Amino acid sequence: MTDPREVLGVSSSAGEEEIRAAYLRKVKEYPPDQAPEEFEKVRNAFETLRDPRKRALAMLHASDPGAPLASVVDGRVPRRLFVGPQPWREVLKAK
Amino acid sequence: MQPKLTTGGQALCTPDHSTTGAAEETSIRQLLAHGKSKTALDRAKDLHKALGSAASEALLIDAYAGRIQALLDQNLALEAKSLIDLVRSRYPSAKTRLDALKATSAARAGALDELLAPLADPGLGAEHRAAIEQAVQNKVADLAAIAACPALPADHSLRIAAAALDRAFVAATSGLVTDEEIALPEVSHRSPLGSWKLLVRAIAHFYRGEDDPCRECLGAIKPESVPARLIPAMHSMLDMKPAAPLTAAEAALVSRATESSAALRNELEKLDRAFADDEDEGRTFKLVRLAMQECRRILPDQVETLKRLIYVRGSMNAVDEERMIAALQGPPRQDAAFFRALAHGMEATGADEDLAMACEYWDEFRQRAVREGWFGAKGVEVATLYSHMAGLLRRIPDDELRDLQRESRSNRKLGIEDSYFLFPEKLYERASVLDPHPEGFSQWLSWAEQDSAQRGEDVAKAWHKIRPMDIEPLLYLLQAAERRNAFPSALTYLDKAERIDAVHSVVRASRLRLLAGSALRHLEQKKPHLAAEKLKAIAALPQSKQGDRPAFMAALGYVIALDRADDRAMDEARAEAIRLLGNDIAAGLLVCGISAAAKRRPVELPPVKSLSRAEQSALPAQIARLVALAKDVGIKKFHLPLPHLQEAARQFPRASGSLDIGQLRTLAETALAMGDDEFAYAASGEGLSRGGETEARFLVLRARCLPERQGTRHAICAAAAAELARPHRDMETVGEAVDLVRRALDSEPFTVTLDQAREVVQKEIAASDYPDGSTRGPDYSTLLPNQLCNCPKCRRARGETPTPFDDLDFDDDYLDDEKMEKIFTERVPEGMPPELAQMLFEVLKEGYRNGLSPDEILEELEDMGGLGGSFREKGKKGKRK
Repeated sequence: MTDPREVLGVSSSAGEEEIRAAYLRKVKEYPPDQAPEEFEKVRNAFETLRDPRKRALAMLHASDPGAPLASVVDGRVPRRLFVGPQPWREVLKAK
Repeated sequence: MQPKLTTGGQALCTPDHSTTGAAEETSIRQLLAHGKSKTALDRAKDLHKALGSAASEALLIDAYAGRIQALLDQNLALEAKSLIDLVRSRYPSAKTRLDALKATSAARAGALDELLAPLADPGLGAEHRAAIEQAVQNKVADLAAIAACPALPADHSLRIAAAALDRAFVAATSGLVTDEEIALPEVSHRSPLGSWKLLVRAIAHFYRGEDDPCRECLGAIKPESVPARLIPAMHSMLDMKPAAPLTAAEAALVSRATESSAALRNELEKLDRAFADDEDEGRTFKLVRLAMQECRRILPDQVETLKRLIYVRGSMNAVDEERMIAALQGPPRQDAAFFRALAHGMEATGADEDLAMACEYWDEFRQRAVREGWFGAKGVEVATLYSHMAGLLRRIPDDELRDLQRESRSNRKLGIEDSYFLFPEKLYERASVLDPHPEGFSQWLSWAEQDSAQRGEDVAKAWHKIRPMDIEPLLYLLQAAERRNAFPSALTYLDKAERIDAVHSVVRASRLRLLAGSALRHLEQKKPHLAAEKLKAIAALPQSKQGDRPAFMAALGYVIALDRADDRAMDEARAEAIRLLGNDIAAGLLVCGISAAAKRRPVELPPVKSLSRAEQSALPAQIARLVALAKDVGIKKFHLPLPHLQEAARQFPRASGSLDIGQLRTLAETALAMGDDEFAYAASGEGLSRGGETEARFLVLRARCLPERQGTRHAICAAAAAELARPHRDMETVGEAVDLVRRALDSEPFTVTLDQAREVVQKEIAASDYPDGSTRGPDYSTLLPNQLCNCPKCRRARGETPTPFDDLDFDDDYLDDEKMEKIFTERVPEGMPPELAQMLFEVLKEGYRNGLSPDEILEELEDMGGLGGSFREKGKKGKRK
């Protein structure tokens, strides 16, 4: 089950106003006539978060024990390392 | 002397100089445009030599400029510089133009002094300055060299800007920097080093993890400037996916400045496979250690999440907990997220004990989530959780759940309230208190009614108390009271339901039924005066005037009058019933049925034999009509005299053509209820022959009336009925048919296609005779799936008659002749001629001696024609378990 908060891009502490604002933002991003599938997801997520019982159920089912372990890597920004100016200068000089 | 124009030594002879010059100029410019600068220059020189005009000089300078640019592009800076000097000395008018090329040449050659020196001249022309600044912007990559350039005074703005940028660049690539450090007020946005400022800021944002501002800065860098050379590498690091192929230097930078997660991903995929394949625990724990080690190195902020995921996966695979914790280097943090994941993991295994365990973890989750501020202690979230937990417990068989409850309580010495999470009723109760929502009550009621009728009523009463305007609990209570024959209570609930929703279909259909039931109940209790009151109430209902209902009221009035010994009322009621039903036989049968339902003394009817031929042949239609009326007014025990029913069955073949679909269905159902399978068979066959949407219903009736020995045919008819009912959304028939298939095949899934279902209908219509011992029935061998096991056990489970050889296990110990004969004699079918029995026995014996399998022996017997339908039905050659 996709976490509706992830779909709308709101935190777990987001209130009704914040959820509504995020929904309107996403609708502008995915208008129904241009991105019907994405819009459907956004709409479902909003409906779920609007209904307290559906919201509670979504919260209960937010974790997926069968998800691949590698999902912890998905979308994560790897560590960025300071390597000093030299490697950067090599690129600048290369052309 | 005529001037001689040559191109590459070839003379160009033309009488008109101006025309020739214009054409040659065009040609030369085309050569320049195509990058053929050397040829262009040679021809421009020839043309200028021939014409010596200002135009030809301008063309020649353009050709020189093209040639110098080509040399610069080939990194032949020295050659370019020599040519610039030559042209400048010969053509002073081209000085400004050549200054730009000289600046580029100097920049390319790394001769910063030469490039920048003119900037120290206050009288430097704007065009020359712009050329130098462009060269600095687009060609010079060494900030430190600009900062230290001796050709410019130490306080020159370009040197100061370059020095500041160089410091900031070093700082941004070596550690986190503050906004002040990258403010760089020394560098104006119009400076040729302006793009460097944006680059330094982009790098600073990149290391701070501020990816959007980083992208904005990169987007503002001038694409032709030196700093733009870092854009592809930085985009690659930001998006973590290679865009265009990176150069060696770019790839080296990306690799050093970001840590790839590929190794961690690889370790985690291996671990996933190890869990899925249930590999050796030692190897699994080794993989856990490697994965955690890599995660700590690459994604330290994900360590806790990964720990939790791995621990839960281990719990689902029931691995050694201590060793798992050791491999993880410590247990996961026991917070709400952990218990939620653990509860989910236990749910996912589906095992009874794990489901109970999941409920315990959910309770832990609840407590921690409340403490951690996920939600309030008494909100809708907790109610939803309780309902979810109750739903999990419902998946555990009752006996198993009771054992688990007992075990849990005795192990921990807990009371029911403390271990409430293992008791569905406690969970539903708590959920309904916290969130009195119809859906929650509905789930609770659904659970309770499965447990016991009384518990169901208790829940419905609790629901009605908390939500008095919900109609569902009232309808439930009404129907429960009706089942108990508690008609006054049922009518009280009906009154309440009518006040909430008088047009509800169940509410509208209930009053007549309840009043009729109540009247019959009063008669049963020998209270005809109360029954008469109910009859009066029935008569006052507008719906009592519809269809045959007035006949019912008349017949009920007759039975009441009979009880009260009111002859006059009896005569009136009888006459009214005859008038309404059209004949006295039907009226008599109706009175008889009502009297039986009220458990009153039997009403005498004229013997069937005394009926005229016409009256006899009308019996099927009349019985169908009366049974339908009894069903309409809700009389449950409407029994008609057996001789009349038997006569109706006898008359059916002659009367069937005049019966409508509804009557045929009623008769088939009545016949089934009275155990007359043959009559039901005939009625269902007639119904099937009518076609249409009711085919599925008649096929179910056909399946139900088949003799037990035709178990496979029964299952095929039911499966075909399910398939035919689906397109018509007749879910009642689908449910009933699927249930029949499941019971017939001992839960083995079996379906047919729509075309096959139609074929079944045709074959069933053709099979008009009820199957007796010698009838095989339609051949469904082509429909029989291989998955239908043909072993004796499965065949018995399907209700089929076993053969005398079925129980012989050929893998058993050796059977001698005596033992074999004994087994055979016990199983030989009744009525089989002794000669044939002996012959079969000999074949069996010989086959056994030759090592034939049971199937092979049976096939041999069939080939000999020795087996009839009673032994083995054709086509049942499914694989043996």
